[in-house]
Amino acid sequence: MSHEKKMVSKEELERIIALCESIEKRGLDPFSVNVKELLMRLRRILVEQRDLDTIVLDAETLYKIAVLISLQQRWLKERASSLFIDSQLVSLKIASAESKQLATALARSWRPIVKAEQLTLYRLRQGMEYFLMLPPRARVLEKLPIAREDAQRIAGQVGYAKGIELEEEIKKMHDRCIMMAGSSGEVDYWSIVSAYTFEDTVWKAYVLSFMVTEGLAEIKKNPLTGEMKVIPYPSKQKREKIAALVVSIKSGEVSKGLGRKKE
Amino acid sequence: MEEKKNETERTGRKLAIAASMLLFSSHRLPGVRGWELRRRLGRNYLKIIDALNSKLNGIGLRVKIMFDQPLGDNPAQEDFDRARFFITLSEPLSVADIVAAGWNIDDVAVLAAALSYIFTKGGKATEKELVELIEVKLPRWKVEAAIERFVRKGYLIRAEDSMIKVGWRTLAEVDEKELLKAIMDLSPSQAKDEVEEKT
Repeated sequence: MSHEKKMVSKEELERIIALCESIEKRGLDPFSVNVKELLMRLRRILVEQRDLDTIVLDAETLYKIAVLISLQQRWLKERASSLFIDSQLVSLKIASAESKQLATALARSWRPIVKAEQLTLYRLRQGMEYFLMLPPRARVLEKLPIAREDAQRIAGQVGYAKGIELEEEIKKMHDRCIMMAGSSGEVDYWSIVSAYTFEDTVWKAYVLSFMVTEGLAEIKKNPLTGEMKVIPYPSKQKREKIAALVVSIKSGEVSKGLGRKKE
Repeated sequence: MEEKKNETERTGRKLAIAASMLLFSSHRLPGVRGWELRRRLGRNYLKIIDALNSKLNGIGLRVKIMFDQPLGDNPAQEDFDRARFFITLSEPLSVADIVAAGWNIDDVAVLAAALSYIFTKGGKATEKELVELIEVKLPRWKVEAAIERFVRKGYLIRAEDSMIKVGWRTLAEVDEKELLKAIMDLSPSQAKDEVEEKT
């Protein structure tokens, strides 16, 4: 019985809070609520229920009622001022006016912001400086085998499409990684993927990427030094977070002079 | 004599910097904050702004200062540092000018009606109320589209519970008292007269 009564009191307090909040949010007439009656109800609940939950809720309700009273004060001030114009009156004026009249009314009180969106000399100079700082793309592209013949040559030499058993390659790579990692448990990325030819380097990086995807290894990159370490696992690991890592291999950048064809 | 000339040159340069900062801003909101002006123009930036204001007055413009919250008669230096400075027209436009600037007269009428209603409702009103009020004059789709456009432009703000509030741009550009006075001055006969004048 007492529990039921407590629930009823709680609901009543929550209803009062919701009522006060709706008046505050919707800008309704704060005098539409009888504050005195609300306070009487609050007092009755406080006398009947003396548990902590009710007291806390009661305090919150009292605060909301105080806010409502401050709204009443503001409402009164607005109404009392000579500048107060009722919304009903404005609605009537709007309903009886022409579009042009309304536009004229706004024009009388409207002083639009003036701003220019043209490019300034300063910004133009900034843009020019940025442009001059950019590395020339043409030189980078020169080094890449962009011609179709080059691409076909690499594909042919590496044998991507020659039916090589990728699983077997992954297993080989996995064994190699574990061996090279030894007791430290990690090995430098480039020492794993580097080969005598550029094509072999690409192929090893390709196989390693599959190995990482399978969960047999992980690659960690130091954001400060850019150093990449491969951490091989003895068995497949389930990952909680998956992220993509892009490693660009350019003929000039394959470290330790291993990326180019041996002359 | 030379010193005075240098001083004038320096002030002229600062005026030019202030004008370019206020007119050409790359932010989403127009104008600049007081602290940005202080950093570029020095501690006495308010004097430079005052001088710029006098110069702009001659061509129908003025520097407007918008404080973050309503202040008394004597705002402190910190209030100016936090305030937003921008340039507005000093005199109102005519409807013909507004139309020539690419505004649709119905859209301007929607803004006038919406703002005047919101002002009288203590700064916010439900979107439903606004649409119902204005759809008496214009098709509902047009009213809704115009409200959406003005929300995007910053004249109105969509708050929680489908409430519409007055936006920062309205506070910067529209004189509340003047708008309400203009709305209250409207009379049905005025409309008739205007139509007759046209014909």
